[in-house]
Parts: sequence; C-alpha cells; structure tokens
Amino acid sequence: MKLSFSKLCFLLVAFTLGNWFVSGQTCAYSLRGKVIDLHDSTPIYGALVSVEGTDFFSQTDEEGNYLLEGLCYEQIIISVEHPQCISLKREVKLLTQKELNFQLEHHINELEEIILSESQLETQNASVKEARLSKDQISQYSSESISEALSSLSGVSLLQTGNTISKPIIHGMFGSRVGIVANGVRLRDQEWGADHAPSIDLNAFEGVQVIKGAATLKYGGDTAGGMIVLTPSKKMLQDSLYGATTLNLESNGKGGSFQSKMNRTTSKGLYIGAHLTARRFGDFQAPNYNLSNTGLEEGVFSLKFGKTKVVKGWELNYSRFQNQMGILRASHIGNIQDLLVALNSNEPLRINPFTYVISAPKQEGIHQNLQFSYYTTTKNNAKWQWEYSYQINQRKEYDVRRAGRSDFAALDLKLQSHTLLGSYSWENDFEWKYEWGINGLFEDNFSNPNTGVKRLIPDYTKYELGTFFVAVYKPTNLFSWDWGLRLDGLFFDAQKYYDLADWETRGYGLRYSRFEIQNRGNQLLTRPQLFYFNLAAQTGISFAIGAGFETKLAYILSQRAPNASELFSDGLHHSLATIEYGNLDLKKETTHKVLLSFSKAEGGFSASVEPYFSFSKNYIYIAPQGIEQTIRGAFPVWNYFATDVLMAGFDSNLEYEIKNQITLAWSTSYIYGQDLMEAQPLILIPPFNSFQKIKYTSKKRLWDVEIAHQFVGQQGNYPDFDFTYNTIEMGTIVPKKVEVSAPPKGYNKWDVFFSIYLSQRGQSKSYVRLVAQNLTNTDYRNYLNRLRFFSSELGRNFQLQLVLRY
Amino acid sequence: MKTINYTIQTFLLCSSMLFFSCEKEAPELVEEQELITTVTLEFLTEGEPSQTLRWQMDNVNPETATLKVNTPYTVRVAFLDESDPGDIEDITQEVQEEADVHQVFFEFSDLNIDFSSGASDVRDSQNNPLYLQSIWNATATGTGTVRVYLIHEPTSKTSTSRSGFGGDTDVAVDFPIRIIE
Repeated sequence: MKLSFSKLCFLLVAFTLGNWFVSGQTCAYSLRGKVIDLHDSTPIYGALVSVEGTDFFSQTDEEGNYLLEGLCYEQIIISVEHPQCISLKREVKLLTQKELNFQLEHHINELEEIILSESQLETQNASVKEARLSKDQISQYSSESISEALSSLSGVSLLQTGNTISKPIIHGMFGSRVGIVANGVRLRDQEWGADHAPSIDLNAFEGVQVIKGAATLKYGGDTAGGMIVLTPSKKMLQDSLYGATTLNLESNGKGGSFQSKMNRTTSKGLYIGAHLTARRFGDFQAPNYNLSNTGLEEGVFSLKFGKTKVVKGWELNYSRFQNQMGILRASHIGNIQDLLVALNSNEPLRINPFTYVISAPKQEGIHQNLQFSYYTTTKNNAKWQWEYSYQINQRKEYDVRRAGRSDFAALDLKLQSHTLLGSYSWENDFEWKYEWGINGLFEDNFSNPNTGVKRLIPDYTKYELGTFFVAVYKPTNLFSWDWGLRLDGLFFDAQKYYDLADWETRGYGLRYSRFEIQNRGNQLLTRPQLFYFNLAAQTGISFAIGAGFETKLAYILSQRAPNASELFSDGLHHSLATIEYGNLDLKKETTHKVLLSFSKAEGGFSASVEPYFSFSKNYIYIAPQGIEQTIRGAFPVWNYFATDVLMAGFDSNLEYEIKNQITLAWSTSYIYGQDLMEAQPLILIPPFNSFQKIKYTSKKRLWDVEIAHQFVGQQGNYPDFDFTYNTIEMGTIVPKKVEVSAPPKGYNKWDVFFSIYLSQRGQSKSYVRLVAQNLTNTDYRNYLNRLRFFSSELGRNFQLQLVLRY
Repeated sequence: MKTINYTIQTFLLCSSMLFFSCEKEAPELVEEQELITTVTLEFLTEGEPSQTLRWQMDNVNPETATLKVNTPYTVRVAFLDESDPGDIEDITQEVQEEADVHQVFFEFSDLNIDFSSGASDVRDSQNNPLYLQSIWNATATGTGTVRVYLIHEPTSKTSTSRSGFGGDTDVAVDFPIRIIE
C-alpha cells in the first residue's frame, strides 16, 4: 500500500524575497528563509537545508525556519531534503545576505502527532498563545465527551450538570461566550443552556485548538471566552487507505466506546472518508453508591467526499450525532423543601440498582450537519474559500410527569441554521497577510407545542450578517503584529406568548406595546423584533526577547447580543427548584480583554505564564431576584439582568523533560470574577486548579507510565444566594436557611496511565493502555457541577483502551 | 477563471439571501397538561353548612376555615387545572388513577389537629391511604395554617411526616384555619 516517498512528494517553486545589503565581507554571507506547505502555508518542520559539498546545514524549526550563516562562497548549490520527499537542488548566487523561501508540496503520508493548525489560524493568532490537544490526547479521551477532553488544557474548565452533561468554560466564560468551530463552520446547537452539552464528537477530528483573538474573528466576534476549533485530518495526495480504530472498556458505568475511521485517498486528489463512534454506559457509580439514571448512549457517524488539488478543491460532508443522556433521578425535585431535604442528606434520596435503562429525567439530541466547502487559489497565492453548512439540531428533554406523560418530551426544540462563510486571503511581500470575508446566518427555532408544557424558548428566526478583516504583519521571525475588525448585524424575530399579568407587571405593556399581536384569554401573543449591531476588534504583538523567550500581548474587544434564552426564557428548573425569566430589556454585552503571555523554551525545558484581565459592560447574568408563590410553595425567581463584571486570572504551564525518558509537567490556573455593580463575586467561577504529572518512558520506547494528580481548591469567592424557606416542624413554622451558595471543599484526584506500544508508524502509534481514574476512590463534590447538591462525583474507574492505526 | 469565481460567489450570496424571505407562522398556544392552578379543601360536618377554601394561582391567599374543636370534619382535597375557564380539568382523577405513585399529606402549624383516612378515601395497591378524603379532629382552639401536599413518586407510602415520604412535591400550599369552641 505504501508508495515510495519520491512519488508522494515533490517540490514546487522556490523564489526569492527581498534583499538586504550587508558589508561584503568574505564568509559573512547568510541565507535564511522558510520551508512551507504550498497547500496551506503551514510550515514544514524538520526539512534539511544544506550547502552541497560543505558541512553547512540547517534543519527547519517548528515554524519552518532555517538559517545558514558564515557562508563563504558566492555561488552555491542548496539542497532541501525532507524525510518523506526527494531532495531538491537549486543554484543560488550569494551576493548579499539573502532570504529564500521554499514552498514544498507536502503530502503527509503519516498522520501527524502534532496537527499543524489551519494556516490562517496559525499565522493570524500569533499574538495570543493557543492551547491545543495532540492526537494522542484525543485518543486518550476517546471515550469521553469533547468538554472533558478540553478540560485537560489549562484555562479550560468544565461546567457540569451531573456526570454526563458537560460544557467547556474558558477563562470563566461559557455558553454563548464560547464558540465551537468544526470543519470551518460554527456549531449551531442550543449552546445557551448551562445543561446543554455540545452536540459534537471529538473523535471525528484530529486537531483541537482553543483560540482567542484575531483568528476567532473569522467565525464571530461574540465569543469573549474564546473559540474551540476542531479540524479534520489532512488529506494525502496519494493512493492510500488508512484509518484507526479505538476500543474502550470501562468499569465505572460498565460500558465503553468504539470508534473507527477510514480514509481512502487517491493520487488524483479524490478522497472519501468515514467515521463512526458508538458509546454506551449504564448508571455510573460514586464511591459509595449507584448514581441512578445516569447512563448514556451515543451514536455518531460522518461521511465526507471531496477532491483536493494544489490550487483548488471541494468537499461535501455529512455528519449525524445522536445521543441520549440520563439525569440523576434524585436531582428531579418538586420544590424548595425537597431541595432542603436533599441538601441535608449525604446520599442521593433515590438509589436504585444498576441499570442500562435510561428513564426520565433525560435529554435526547440529534444534530445533523450537511456542508459544502470550496476553495480556489489564484496565481498570486491568494485564496478564495467558501463554506456553506445546513445544520439541524433537535433537542428533547423529558421530565418526570403524571399520567404516563414522562414518555413525552417536556421540551422539544428544533433549530435549523444555514451558514455561509466566504473569505479571501492574500499575502503581500511575505510580510503582510490579509483575510477578508463575509459571514451570513439564518436560523429558525421551532418549539413544539405538543409537549403540554409552556415553551421555555419561543419560536424565532434569527438573521446575522457580518464582515471581517484581519491582517498580520510578520517582518521577521522575531516579531509579529496582527489586528482585525468585525462588524455584525443581528436581527431577532420572535413570536412568544406572555402571561398577560406578567407582561404588565414587568412593564412590558408600556415599553413594548408595539410587539403586542393578539390577546388569547390570559395569554398575550407578542412578536418581539430586536436588532443589534456588534463590533469586534483585536490587536496584538508578539516578539522574542531572547533565545527561546517570547512575549505576546493582545487586546480583544468583543460584543455579543443577548441570546434567545437570556431574552425570552420562561420556565421552571427542576433540579435547582428555580423559576427562570428572560429579559427583553437586555442590551448587547461588551467585553474588553487584555491577554499577556511569557514563554520560554530551552532544550527539554519549557515554561509559560499567561495572565489576563477582562472588563465587561452589560454582562448578562442570571441571579435570584425575589420569591414567587407557586402551587409548589415559594420559589426563588432567577432573572437575567446586566451588570459590569471584572475578571482576572492566569494560566501557567511548566514542562521538563529529562533525557527523553522522564517528563515532569505542572499547570495551574486561577481566576477571580467580580460583579462590580452588586459588589459581589460572580457565581460558578472555577476555583484554583493545579495539575501535575510525571511520565516515564522505557528506554526503547516500548511502554510508558504516567501518574497524574489534580488538586482543585475550594472556591472562596462566591456570591451569597442563600435564602430562607418556612418549613413546618413539630407543629410550628420554622424558617430554614437553604444553603445553595457555599462551594464544596477542595479535593485531590489521582489518575494512572500505563501504555504498551504495539507498533509505530512514524509518530503515530498503536497501543494498549490501562487507566485507573480516581485511583483512591475519593469522595468529592465539584463546585462547577450544578447537581452537586444531590450526589458526589464519580468513584474509581478502570479503563482498558486499545488504539489501532493502520 | 476570475469571472467564473465571481459568478459562483455571487450565486452563493444570492441563494443565502433567499432564506431571508421566509415568514413564520404564528405559534400555537400550548395546552398545558401538567398544570395545577387550584387546590380546594372542602370541610363537611353534621349540622353545619359546608366550607370550601380555594387556593388559586392568581389568588394565593385563601379564606380562613373556621372549625369547631372536638368535632370530626370530613375533608376533601381536589386539584384542578382552571387555566382555561371553558375547560376545567380535574387533576384529582389522575391522582386517583395513579394512587401508587401519589400521596396527599397535611402538616399543621400552631394547630392541634389529628387526621385519619376517611371512609371513601382512595387507597393504593398496598392499601395505604391517599388522604384525598380524610377525617380531621381538632383537640384545642387556636389559629394556624395547614400545608397541603401532593407528593409525586414518594419513596415511602407509610410515613407520618412530609420528609419521611420523600419524593417530589407537586403541590405545597397553605390554608389558614381557626379552631373555635
């Protein structure tokens, strides 16, 4: 199946760029430049650039740079070699100091360990440090959700609803403030919900990056937290068939997962690829009890077909994601008194024997994406790129209901979105890179009325039209400056029934009488039409201070229109016994953020620290505001409102490799969040977190063992949202404090990984891995788990993982 | 080449504009099935007119029941959905039909009232009373409140306190009661 490398790779043009004059002293000539991939301008690492007949040589670094110094000859023959390509020879006249770039058509024939990012992201994001998951890490987390995998990166935490539902928090922000981009298109699911996990499977992708700054502007200007960018594997221009299969078996939840990927490529550029994931778990276990009704089922498949040529290509891609997730039965409660009882109990109030059956309360989701991409390159290396995507997101939530209605969804939403992204990127003198583009979105949300429950989110259509421009100036490898701008117009056209009394008491009748359509009994049909205009901007610089010492500084301005939930939500949350109301008065939210980064890399040592600071005006936030008397007794009412918020924090990383065998790594993150108007801390801010690991690799690299320890502190900075509820005890009314605010104690968690390599193809390995998670079976609760009042986190888990690559 | 590009691109832009012309139908009004808007307590005793107290979602302060001390009263609880005045639904029916997963219970504050299952009360498959119909007897005079509970999927059906029953509270409403000589 393998073809000779010479056939796979060929070198294309090489041409010169600017000349500088230096004093014409002998043996002072130098030659520097870059070896880059013609396809997408990604740098090629490890290419050998040498001068024929001499000992002068240089190997390209991770950015593709090489440097030859002290050359004495005016006329030399340069040879460029890469392990997977035939060598290229070129005669070069050295009259002055010269810069020479080689563009190499680099068709990888092995899946890379470190996935090179999409060129635009790579270059345009120079001023903000990115975090990314390697392919090996993606395999390691293959049986978990995308959020869980991401949370291994410093600066990313998890917002959980029980043990199966989780979403990423970046620098203290989540939901609509964090975007997910898959295959170059924003994921359009019901991302506004705190208990809505992203409808996407990590295993379909090979590159995972968390980006902040200019590179995000292409996909939106509204994500103050950052963007998670998922990229598929690179295509090979050769006749090949390759793939990978992963099998996971786990003791906790008595389940596992299976993934398989297959790709067929041809030398003509045609390719076809398919991916399949199946996951199934029964009830998970906390250290001391069964977590009843926490099982999950997931089935994902994707299919792509396309053609890639050097200058143009297209792809048609379809993916379907379907899952069903149980929600801890004990967390479905009726009122505050039930919550009080749960808070005073060490164990969940309903513990049933283990089962694979998932009953109400539960969530079901189906997400489908049909996508077409097209790109073409013009002569001057400028590139047009078009992406169209049609996404359908169906979401159903089931509650425990009377008269057999538990089998009918209590929430049934169908969100359809059409996205179009067009961009044009070009370069100028190799120093300037530009990208301009437009971005359109049409979104239609339908809330099924047959649920028999008042709509949480109304029917609406949303229109968005945006344009962006980003530029990167990189005169040398030691300095870069990037900046970008984005403008967006957003229009909401919703149709919602309001309770007539609510409409009046909130003063909407006075301020929004223009939205009123029709009275139907005690319900009022309204048509809120809201327009928002948003601006986003970014600028940043990156420069090297000394050998391997880099500094980055960036400023990001982002504006976000309130989402459908913040504007319109209207309903009861069973697990928290709260009533949530949206707010029509909300204005757009503006965030200013400054990010700094210092990093040093030398030999096997690398360290970085990234402090950041953000200030948000009109930060949309939900907090308790009063009590409402209901048929279930007094309920705290949570309203969306706007405030001014300050957040500051840092992420740090330290890694030290000793003799290629022992790796020590330590990362920490801390964040402080304060509501300035109310002068109180923000809720759900991740506590201090420290993650350390030691890894030993055998001499012949046949096996390795890794011990990882995580310490999560107790969040001391939290708002006091406790309230009192009158219970009846021994014939008298006793006011009781409902303590929902205090965060749980900090905890320590130990994980052990043991891997045996079966075979190795390049940097890509097949292996068997044994994992023990929460080795000490520690009983702990997590502040960022919204169901922490009801149960502890997962107990010990043994996992067997088999990864085969072929 | 360039012209073709622009043609394709213009086409894409125009087709995206087509989506902008959709008009959405007015949404249907949701017929709420889970809703209980009203709880009524009916007090009956020989030689007195009956008294009915109503707790309603738009009137959360019901009137006071005045009961005589040491007099047995038959108390009926009813749960109604009156959100549509033209179509009042009796949720009590659903509770009766699902007797095994429901429980009615009373808690009193500042009142000395004993209660027991009434003769025409509904019982579940284990013969536990639901207290939809109960007999109340006050042993002292005074003024206080009764909290009426409807519990869904209780973890126990034989408790003597609200917390002992466990389960999810579907209804918890207070009625003022006065006990006189």
